Amino acid sequence: MTEGYIYLDYAASTPVDPRVFDRMRECSEATCANPSSTHAAGRLSQDIVAGAGAQVAGLLNVDPKTLVWTSGATESDNLAIAGGARYRAHRGKHIVTMKTEHKAVTDVFDTLAKEGFEVTWADAGANGLLDPAAFEAALRDDTQFVSIMFVNNETGVIQDIEALGTICRQRDILFHVDAAQAVGKLPIDLGKLPIDLMSLTAHKFYGPKGVGALYIADRPGCHVEPILFGGGQQRRLRPGTLPTELIAGLGMTAEIAAGRIGDDLEHLKTLRDTLWRGIRDIEGISLNGDPNGFPGILNVSVDDVEGESLLLALEPLLVATGSACNSKSQEPSYVLRALGLTDMQAQSAIRFSVGRPTTMNEVEFAARHYRAAIDKLRALAPERAA
Amino acid sequence: MSADPYSATVRGLFATTPHAGDLAGAESVSTSDQDVRIRLSASVEDGVIRTMRFRAWGCPHLVAAAEAACAALEGQAAAGLVDWAAADLMENLPVPVEKTGRILVLEDTVRSLGRALCDRT
Repeated sequence: MTEGYIYLDYAASTPVDPRVFDRMRECSEATCANPSSTHAAGRLSQDIVAGAGAQVAGLLNVDPKTLVWTSGATESDNLAIAGGARYRAHRGKHIVTMKTEHKAVTDVFDTLAKEGFEVTWADAGANGLLDPAAFEAALRDDTQFVSIMFVNNETGVIQDIEALGTICRQRDILFHVDAAQAVGKLPIDLGKLPIDLMSLTAHKFYGPKGVGALYIADRPGCHVEPILFGGGQQRRLRPGTLPTELIAGLGMTAEIAAGRIGDDLEHLKTLRDTLWRGIRDIEGISLNGDPNGFPGILNVSVDDVEGESLLLALEPLLVATGSACNSKSQEPSYVLRALGLTDMQAQSAIRFSVGRPTTMNEVEFAARHYRAAIDKLRALAPERAA
Repeated sequence: MSADPYSATVRGLFATTPHAGDLAGAESVSTSDQDVRIRLSASVEDGVIRTMRFRAWGCPHLVAAAEAACAALEGQAAAGLVDWAAADLMENLPVPVEKTGRILVLEDTVRSLGRALCDRT
């Protein structure tokens, strides 16, 4: 990790577990062959990919054949949403998602809208949650596709996926879940949850960047059209040479996660609670999103503090002002604006995200340092005009 | 590592702000524009700025610029404030082009302070 800094941005990305590195190196040394090749070395690569498939499938309780390898959650989201909605276009053109989804979802919906699909952008409540009754009321006879994220990347809000998925299943609506922030962090049993399509990525749970997967349920009518062309790999759903080492890494990442999700959650909860206890009495502070959300994320705003100065004053803490994908923009987070925050509140928002390596000393320091940074900036600021 | 958005000069000026604060009884002016708020105060003796203080709400470049301006203007003729220009300061820090407007608010505030000081005398 960057020396001298305290990394509290685990929702953006995580360090690769050394066992994952070992597995990737081992696979790389064992064979360089293309898994599509039929010779002995190619078959070894196929076996590595198959083994990784079994590991990821084990984490999610699914058949490995339901997994399509991708480059990560953004590609999985694109394949699921564009491919799923287009596949179902003969059933209707109405598709539904939330205003608080990741750009990897909202931008695909925008693209589909230009193709003639009609999009309903469901509102979140002030706590970030989608009310299942309101969601059901937004559905129509021609609704054919829905995408809702499992855990929000900015606020950590956990949607009631079981309730929302049940509503979709009853109406035979294809239901996609962006689970980039949930897989390997929350227990997910796809044998029980009514999810048709689910996106995941390795680097959010201690695996390598550049590899992910899309789960496609094995049930009638659940399918996607490809969005990439150029070969017959993966049943023509996602052509391209499979990155054997990265897939092996994702497999090991999943196996490690499967054995420690409960312990990880307990660790994260202790850290987040400590951090929140250390700052919650700061004047004008507010917690953004549902307090019962994913414990790895704490998103807070304070009144009358400028966000960019706050971020610099917080160094050596490495935190985020919104999602990493959005933070180069000066615009306030559209996710927080959708929860009803003012531009000023959204602009001062800081997302702390803790992970497996985070220590109690680090979050205690973070709480003290955040408090000191707020004090410093408030002392610098002139009073607001009446 | 890709370029740091803040130069060492900006980081230093933002981290240590000896000129932050107010001067009781001294002339002061406030400005609020372009999503920033600035207040400048100055005490003058024999037409020379002896002490200058600032308060600022805005990005790190604005805070750094305000600190640098106060430090540079102490010891200067108060009359010079009325046509003070931030161009050299913006080049030295440096200030990215998208933040130029905020630093020009500082420039306006310095000039307003200069006019207030002239009116006082």
